[in-house]
Amino acid sequence: MTAAAPAKLELRDVSVRFDGRLVLDHVDLTVAPGARVGVIGPAASGKSVLVKVMAGLVAPSEGRLLIDGHDVTGWSEERMAPVRARIGMLFQNYALYDFLTVGDNVGFPLVRRGEPEGQIARRVGERLRAVGLAGNEAKLPSQLSGGMKKRVGIARATIAAPELVLYDEPTAGLDPVTTSKMYDLLRDDHDRSGATAIAVSSDVTALLTFVETVVFVYQGRAHYQGPAATLADAPDPVVRQFVRGALDGPLVG
Amino acid sequence: MSAPVSRRPDPVSRLGAGGLGGVRAGVELWLVLIGTIAGIVRMFRRGAARPKGAIVEQMWVIGNRSLLFVAVTLGFIGMVMIYQACLQFSRAIGDLSQVGTQFIRLIVSDFGPTLTAMMLATRVGAGIAAEIGSMKVTEQVDALRMSGVLPIDYLLVPRFLASVVMTVALAIVGAAIMYAAGGLTAYLSFGVNPRIFYDLQMVEGKHLILGLLKAVSYGAAIPVVSGFCGLRARGSSEGVGWATTAAVVGSSFAVIALDFALSVGALWLLGGDL
Amino acid sequence: MLGERSITSLGARAVAVSRELGGITILFAQVLRALVPPRLDGRELVRNLYKMGNRSVPIVALTAFFAGGLMVVQSAPFVKRLDATSLAGWAAGYAVLREIGPILIALMFSGRVGANNTAELGTMTVTEQLDGLRALAIDPIRYLIVPRVLAMLIMLVCLTVIGDLVALIGAAVVAKAVLGIEWGIMYASFTENLKPHDFLHGVYKSMAFGTAIAVTSCYFGVTVRGGAVGVGRAVNAAVVAAAVSIMLLDFFLTYVNA
Repeated sequence: MTAAAPAKLELRDVSVRFDGRLVLDHVDLTVAPGARVGVIGPAASGKSVLVKVMAGLVAPSEGRLLIDGHDVTGWSEERMAPVRARIGMLFQNYALYDFLTVGDNVGFPLVRRGEPEGQIARRVGERLRAVGLAGNEAKLPSQLSGGMKKRVGIARATIAAPELVLYDEPTAGLDPVTTSKMYDLLRDDHDRSGATAIAVSSDVTALLTFVETVVFVYQGRAHYQGPAATLADAPDPVVRQFVRGALDGPLVG
Repeated sequence: MSAPVSRRPDPVSRLGAGGLGGVRAGVELWLVLIGTIAGIVRMFRRGAARPKGAIVEQMWVIGNRSLLFVAVTLGFIGMVMIYQACLQFSRAIGDLSQVGTQFIRLIVSDFGPTLTAMMLATRVGAGIAAEIGSMKVTEQVDALRMSGVLPIDYLLVPRFLASVVMTVALAIVGAAIMYAAGGLTAYLSFGVNPRIFYDLQMVEGKHLILGLLKAVSYGAAIPVVSGFCGLRARGSSEGVGWATTAAVVGSSFAVIALDFALSVGALWLLGGDL
Repeated sequence: MLGERSITSLGARAVAVSRELGGITILFAQVLRALVPPRLDGRELVRNLYKMGNRSVPIVALTAFFAGGLMVVQSAPFVKRLDATSLAGWAAGYAVLREIGPILIALMFSGRVGANNTAELGTMTVTEQLDGLRALAIDPIRYLIVPRVLAMLIMLVCLTVIGDLVALIGAAVVAKAVLGIEWGIMYASFTENLKPHDFLHGVYKSMAFGTAIAVTSCYFGVTVRGGAVGVGRAVNAAVVAAAVSIMLLDFFLTYVNA
């Protein structure tokens, strides 16, 4: 299941304002095709909003969003549909449709495209097997544990062979063992598909086993963008305090 | 509002802000209505994304579960209305022969659809807002958008169509029950002969049309207002609660406002002879 | 086996309804008991009075205005036929004071304040704040519920009185605008034909409605289960229960206090 051509994503001078409050402050970000980028930072720093802007779910108040060089800023839902067809997203609280079974949930993006039922069922089975949940098609989301729901979410996000996958807190609330298994899964997936990956996470250590580049967001601004390896040596004091987990420093609780 | 405000703006600017907010909400609401109708058109043209059999399912949810509720409430209020009316008629005119004929005229052209819709505004309105609201708050609505599905098409259109059909159906049932209950009360409490009471001679085509028009309008307004409130839900359980509250109030008020507008319109059109 | 299944589901529904009814009665009894030596949090009472009354006046006033106008519109053909314009005020006023006013205002109140109250209490239940209160040896009934019940009762009565007045004004306005009946005629019609007893009849009803709305709203709020979805469902149930209670109480009170 290889992506056709991994997508490139760019944010140019993006700011987002909610009710006059500045949530993202002039963010510039370029994600190369096939890259794996992690977005980290303290709580309420604007990480989730950043991901939603990338998905086109939140329109920036200022600045542009470019996907594969096309400016898609503020596009209507109808125009965004073909673009979104190439993007997969895992939501923070899984966002599984609670009125559909696991199988229907995972196959949902394919039903939209009018693919034949038999083929959908086959691909759903494949994806569920890949995330380690084979045979659970008939269950309802309410019958699954948190980790299982996250895996169903990943299956749904990746079933249409997307060229860009966004993960909003893929391991939040999971125990360490399940967390490792999750990143194993993501690594396998992306090794095989070559799709671009952008993952937001509060669990920096585990995230660094998957991504090569890191963006540190604090109070809506990107304080660091670069290889994960040099994160700890960043010149910015805010970043250093966060990485060390220290209590004293410029980071405001 | 939950967070304490350090400095309260003066009443005038609050009024202005409230007014602006109201206008903005009104515009958004209108857009939702347009969007829903556009969604219906899209549905006929393409066979677009919609859960299989959603319309029928929604009709079942709305109709079946509200039937008993509507029947009970309209039955009781029918009895009360006739009781009060008979009381007044005997005080003022002393002749109860007109009660039945006037009553059915009012039921068909107003009370049947309106009271049914008021009841549905609470039941169905709260239900729709709660469902769509919790979907919004758990990001399921965003997930739909990511799959290229318009939330209005998927969530609102089936409920809209189901509500219009079911409101009309329930209004007819409700009206019948009101009529029956009223006649029973008139007979038991005031000795009015059922044959005199159950006399349809005053009911004309225009009353039926007005009543139907009202039922259709109410059936359209309730899901649009409630869906709108649901889609605006923010936060978590608190947001869903707010959305449901707003939906009930908004839908009920919409019913009353539409009733007033349509009644006055009809009165004006028919030159005062309703 | 359709017959068997529907009977089972009917039975299950009946059991569920009676369980709710029992729970509501128990809560009502607890509230009454907490009132016997009336020790309650005065600050909470005042806060709730303000919150509930303040929010509802606009919507109640608007609704009442339209309702009054509607009654005039409905009585219009009848009045025209008998050429009894002086009766228009009486016809509309009577309906408003005894029935339409109390019921409509109660329904709106149930939607605005009752539903909101259920949502608030529901959220508090879901976030375990009620348990937190108990852990501090504070009785949630005395501290939270009783002030709300009292506030809702008092507020609904006040709102009904205000609403009645606005509805009569609305009736007069519509009578002038649509039927060309002069203010003076309407005013005379009101004062000559409407008795204080009619007005009080409506007020007694609003007291009963207020109690019903308050207790059901609190009950469904504190018995919420299941997060955001549960809160939505609780609000739904509360509003429906309140509507049914209003209709039932109206029925009984009409006969008792005619």
